[in-house]
Amino acid sequence: MSDHLLEIKNLKITVATRRNVLNLVDNLTLAVKKGEILGLVGESGAGKSMTGSAIIGLIEKPVKISGGEIWFKGKRIDQHPDEVRGHEISMIFQDPMMSLNPLWRIGDQLIEVITTHMNISHQDAIKKAKHCLVEVGIDPSRMNAYPHTFSGGMRQRVVIALALAPNPSLVIADEPTTALDVSIQAQILDLLKQICKTRGTSIILITHDMAVISQTTDRVCVMYSGRLAEIGITKEIMAHPQHPYTKGLVASTPQIDASSFEKMLYQIPGSMPALDNIPSGCAFHPRCEHAHDKCRAERPEVLSNRAACWLLDANEGQ
Amino acid sequence: MSFIIANHLTRQYDLSDPWIVRMLTSNKRKQLTAVDDVSFSIDKGTTYALVGESGSGKSTIAKMVVGLLAPSAGAITFDGKMINDETISKADRQRLRRRIQMVFQSPYASLNPRWAVGDILKEPIRAFGLFDSRADQDKRVNELLDQVGLSARDANKYPHEFSGGQRQRISIARALSSQPDVIICDEPTSALDVSVQAQVLNLLKTLQKEFSLTYLFISHDLAVVSTMANKIGVLNEGKLVEEAVPSQLFAKPENPYTKMLIDAVPDFGKV
Ligand SMILES: Nc1ncnc2c1ncn2[C@@H]1O[C@H](COP(=O)(O)OP(=O)(O)OP(=O)(O)O)[C@@H](O)[C@H]1O
Ligand SMILES: Nc1ncnc2c1ncn2[C@@H]1O[C@H](COP(=O)(O)OP(=O)(O)OP(=O)(O)O)[C@@H](O)[C@H]1O
Ligand SMILES: [Mg+2]
Ligand SMILES: [Mg+2]
Repeated sequence: MSDHLLEIKNLKITVATRRNVLNLVDNLTLAVKKGEILGLVGESGAGKSMTGSAIIGLIEKPVKISGGEIWFKGKRIDQHPDEVRGHEISMIFQDPMMSLNPLWRIGDQLIEVITTHMNISHQDAIKKAKHCLVEVGIDPSRMNAYPHTFSGGMRQRVVIALALAPNPSLVIADEPTTALDVSIQAQILDLLKQICKTRGTSIILITHDMAVISQTTDRVCVMYSGRLAEIGITKEIMAHPQHPYTKGLVASTPQIDASSFEKMLYQIPGSMPALDNIPSGCAFHPRCEHAHDKCRAERPEVLSNRAACWLLDANEGQ
Repeated sequence: MSFIIANHLTRQYDLSDPWIVRMLTSNKRKQLTAVDDVSFSIDKGTTYALVGESGSGKSTIAKMVVGLLAPSAGAITFDGKMINDETISKADRQRLRRRIQMVFQSPYASLNPRWAVGDILKEPIRAFGLFDSRADQDKRVNELLDQVGLSARDANKYPHEFSGGQRQRISIARALSSQPDVIICDEPTSALDVSVQAQVLNLLKTLQKEFSLTYLFISHDLAVVSTMANKIGVLNEGKLVEEAVPSQLFAKPENPYTKMLIDAVPDFGKV
């Protein structure tokens, strides 16, 4: 048995337009281990949310999963996502109001989620709901309050409580702190991390912020144009990125560091290609200063279990 | 001498119910002091950054400096002249407006979607009567597009045909089109990805050197501010709680609020 909770194999997500078929996610393979926090990082449009939606079964027409497999706890779920959604796998969105019903007291929302997914009495559900609020740092006396009486940060805490209430084994958090203040962002991420570490819950954290990745995740998967660019242990990737795109992302992230005050930032030349105009070979090759003929001609496989880049191919050299 | 001086700036917003409701409910008037006695000054050709959480009053200050909003108290002096002086002549006010421009956070909201980029850039040129002949105006548009890293061909395209980063370049080109001395940048890269953000921030720096522009740079992102600012002011609930050069602010923050903000920044370096 592998220690993988979730396995995505050659996932392909497409949408047909009048003129052509666009690959939103293209041949993505990755796995999430039990209890780990995996970051999914990349620029806007890289396919991060699509990947998250596919796992939890929220892909809607005209977009569709047109290839690959998703396995969860040894069962294939891409055909029957309903069996695990909300109960084994739950989701936290950027906007807390996506997950909250404005007309319901937060206590009732928690109890509803708990009784739907767990086989327990109403009395126990109330107890459990209170415990969930305490866990996210909200006074259980606020059970009767409505969402609008909370600040943005507190609402996101309630959403975390809701997502974790049915004891899921996997939480997908899609930009959970992007809409929040800097000072609250760190608190929320720490909270999520600490609860999941105590419970042994795995997290897929979707973000475009390298600093958040570095602070929160155990492993990270970097996506570019719907494809995997690099995957590995976060510390290693931050310290020694292998894919030129990851190198660029790390280098162009502003950091508070005496040596960079008032200095120019590193910048990756050019911009991410449009979906209907993905370059041949490696999608990143037009922006890569190390690109050679093979990069232009042939799409790189993931080499050394790490990066989809021909530069890692020892035989190729430069 | 300082190029821009904000002197005891204060701005209140009236959040009271309409008077009739107040009469009926005997609720009191409610005033929110969004900016509270803030003073700072900016030297020519330098960047002054304002940081603070959402609602701390950053945009309110920006709007007062650019003349979109009148201070409730206090004054702004620009190049030796009082901006908000009632006695200032219309012609002088127009002249001041040309010299101080603004770039906003959302390049979507601030560009008219129905205008071609060339027309967006020409509008300030015409409004301030900078170039009379069409040929000169077109030449200026090409020059502006070139300065922000776009091409002359882009003049005929519409905003929706550009990516977020390119749209922000267009906003910057528009701000430059009136040949200003000062640009107020209100969260100019908050809506952009890191790789695009780096391009836009570098562009702002290059333009600053080339035209000795003075920037008031507003952001909630301390890491961004640390690479942009010559001096940083920290706002908390409308008050300026600390002001220092980057090396000092990040090494030895004095105010507890500043410390809290710095501690909240994910420590990217320590891996
Ligand atoms: N219905 C659709 N038709 C065509 N393209 C679509 C559709 N829905 C999404 N896309 C495209 O799919 C791509 C991937 O989208 P996705 O939401 O996964 O990106 P993301 O990495 O989450 O980006 P962001 O950081 O902006 O959230 C984007 O380029 C998007 O424009
Ligand atoms: N037109 C207005 N009427 C009433 N209150 C206002 C108005 N504009 C701003 N405020 C209030 O003034 C305070 C300061 O707002 P301001 O927009 O200056 O903050 P900010 O620091 O720019 O925040 P953000 O980072 O969210 O842009 C806030 O409490 C805001 O709600
Ligand atoms: Mg997304
Ligand atoms: Mg603002």
